[in-house]
Amino acid sequence: MRDFLDDRPLKLRRERPGDRGYWRVILLAIGLVLAGSLLIVLDRQGVITPARLSAREALQPLMGWLMARRIELETWWATPRDVVAMQNRIAELEAENARLTGEVLRLEQARVENIFLRQQLSITRSYPWKVLGAEVMARAPEAARRVLTIARGTEDGVQVGMAVIGQQPGGPPALVGVVETVGARTADVLMITDISSQLSVRLLQPDGAPLGLMQGQWQRGSRLRVELIDRNAALRVGDHVVTAGLSGTLNLPLDLAAMPAAVPIGSIETVQQEGQRQIGEIRPFVDPDQVRYVWVILSQDE
Amino acid sequence: MGDSQPRRIEERLARELGLALILLALALVQVTLLTGPSGFSVPLLLVLALVRALVGAGTSEPVRGLMRGLWWAFYGGLALDLLSALPLGSHAVAQLLAVAVVGLVARRFAVERPLVPLLAVAAGTVIYEVTLYLIVLPVDSDWQAYALVVVLPSLLLALIPTLPVVAIVHWLTRTNR
Repeated sequence: MRDFLDDRPLKLRRERPGDRGYWRVILLAIGLVLAGSLLIVLDRQGVITPARLSAREALQPLMGWLMARRIELETWWATPRDVVAMQNRIAELEAENARLTGEVLRLEQARVENIFLRQQLSITRSYPWKVLGAEVMARAPEAARRVLTIARGTEDGVQVGMAVIGQQPGGPPALVGVVETVGARTADVLMITDISSQLSVRLLQPDGAPLGLMQGQWQRGSRLRVELIDRNAALRVGDHVVTAGLSGTLNLPLDLAAMPAAVPIGSIETVQQEGQRQIGEIRPFVDPDQVRYVWVILSQDE
Repeated sequence: MGDSQPRRIEERLARELGLALILLALALVQVTLLTGPSGFSVPLLLVLALVRALVGAGTSEPVRGLMRGLWWAFYGGLALDLLSALPLGSHAVAQLLAVAVVGLVARRFAVERPLVPLLAVAAGTVIYEVTLYLIVLPVDSDWQAYALVVVLPSLLLALIPTLPVVAIVHWLTRTNR
């Protein structure tokens, strides 16, 4: 036996001290894998699924909170911190903002114009008038006179004495004033509520249409008042008041000859007796102080 | 001497529970913060378990070190199972197999060399993903596409935190010794 072993002496590798217990590692691994596999089987059979879902639900708030932090972090990361990049971005946004603002204004203008054109169409369909739309440019700053300036003048066919009407939502088109002075492109309109405004009117009653005289009362703290010419006629609350158009009917050489008849004004709100006189307070259909767009009645179809 | 003495059961249970909670917190971080928009996440818990086993195998008590790695893999896998849509135990089994195979094969190599943990984590990730593939997907699925679309990106993502994790686990092991 000298021989084989002596010639080639067998060298056993010396085991490291820790190498002896690796079977424990393998056993533990097998045990844990079996435990994990059992859990998989039980979960697939639905035995422990409710418990797993409950545990996940319990962790949901924490997951939600962490996800929110992550989104914050991503937002912070995506925010440009380079000054030049930020300035470029701001310039881009400002240019876009300017363009969008212009677009919004244009659309708003078109919307308003559309509203006024629809109103005008409605008026010309319902009444025998040829009207011209006009934007209210300004109102007299002083309280002494109730005048508004419109953006239409002689170039558009506007003349002194023409009736100017307005319309408020839900109400009929009604008189707001009379053209007092005209320029080439603008005109001043004396409001019917001004104390110097006097017009012949008719009261629409079931048994007739008595004539009256209407006067503005704004400077006296009121709006409009009417007094009947025929003392035998009676004023009634609720009577509608329209223009009489006497100057035009009688063909008088007056400015007010351009005022058509039967333009609505308002309705009688209260009636007072002052001696032999009956005075009626008129509630106008259109408040002249509120209008932004008006129509000038250029002519009336016969 | 302290480690060789039998610990009181309560102390050990508390220690295991603490470890499981820490790994659950890390699983939450992996699922929420370390997940990319395309659905991939850095497999932090797998890397931790692998590195724990490798570092443990290089200590004077390699068996105990490897066993700790197995427990880390089990707890971490269960934590991931709680947060994922797979059956409970799927990630645990996949991580256990990866850690057991890689830990036993790589125990003789010095983990201080950077290539060792990187190769070990790469091999462990492949085992992990293949195990999940076998658990989750039908056998006749396209495994080549799976390897290209899932395994390869996961492997590259796993390599990112490997070396920092090795350093941290090394430091923790020395501190606890």
